[in-house]
Amino acid sequence: MTCSTEVIEYMHQYLDEEILEQDKVKLKKHLDECEDCAIHFHELKKTIALVQSTSHIQAPANFTENVLGLLPKEKKQAVFKR
Amino acid sequence: MEALIKKRIKQVIKGDQNAFGDIIDIYKDKVFQICYRMLGNRHEAEDISQEAFLRAYVNINRFNMDLKFSTWLYRIATNLCIDRIRKKKPDYYLDAEVPGTDGLNMYSQISSDTRLPEEDVESLELQALIQREISKLPEKYRSVIVLKYIEELSLNEISEILELPLGTVKTRIHRGREALRKQLRHV
Repeated sequence: MTCSTEVIEYMHQYLDEEILEQDKVKLKKHLDECEDCAIHFHELKKTIALVQSTSHIQAPANFTENVLGLLPKEKKQAVFKR
Repeated sequence: MEALIKKRIKQVIKGDQNAFGDIIDIYKDKVFQICYRMLGNRHEAEDISQEAFLRAYVNINRFNMDLKFSTWLYRIATNLCIDRIRKKKPDYYLDAEVPGTDGLNMYSQISSDTRLPEEDVESLELQALIQREISKLPEKYRSVIVLKYIEELSLNEISEILELPLGTVKTRIHRGREALRKQLRHV
């Protein structure tokens, strides 16, 4: 069964926290009745959780010193070069 | 925070490079992370992050003090990443570092007879897999997904950073989520 794009649109509005209260009720009711859509919605939420689970990484050591070392000595000269 | 940044920017405009060092320290991890998740490669991410800060420095006079500095800086970084992605040769990935394996550096410093706990290995593999799938997204979806779910920025901020209408940002996030769902559903 292929459900209306309206339901998919509600899912995305829900994920963006922009769904209207009455549409949220419609979405919940539909998800209770339609397994395909319930799976779709679950997969979307899982996807977000997976992306958010990618651990936060840090800039390499000495990053600040390296960039400061690359700065033009006289700012005005650098502007003239451009 | 914004008041401190603006104070530092004024010092930079007067010629104080150390004040710019403070700005780099505050934003380097965020900028590096955007570049790493966009490019999927540590070496390129470092290169582009450096370039982003250099451009911010050289163009600091053009920064509009009414804006959030981070919005302007992330815009520079994102644009540089998008340019780099567009210029990439198709065979680039053949010799690229496997994305998401940075954590291994940490473990490689542990003595070799220390066994890795199973779940840590799994987690590193999973991280690499997720990064590979993010890297497969078309660049217009990749940028919104990275800004929304890795940098945790609001749709309005993303719209300002990418200079796109809010409606376009929403559409791209929806499509990006659907594309990633198809790629990650069996994980």
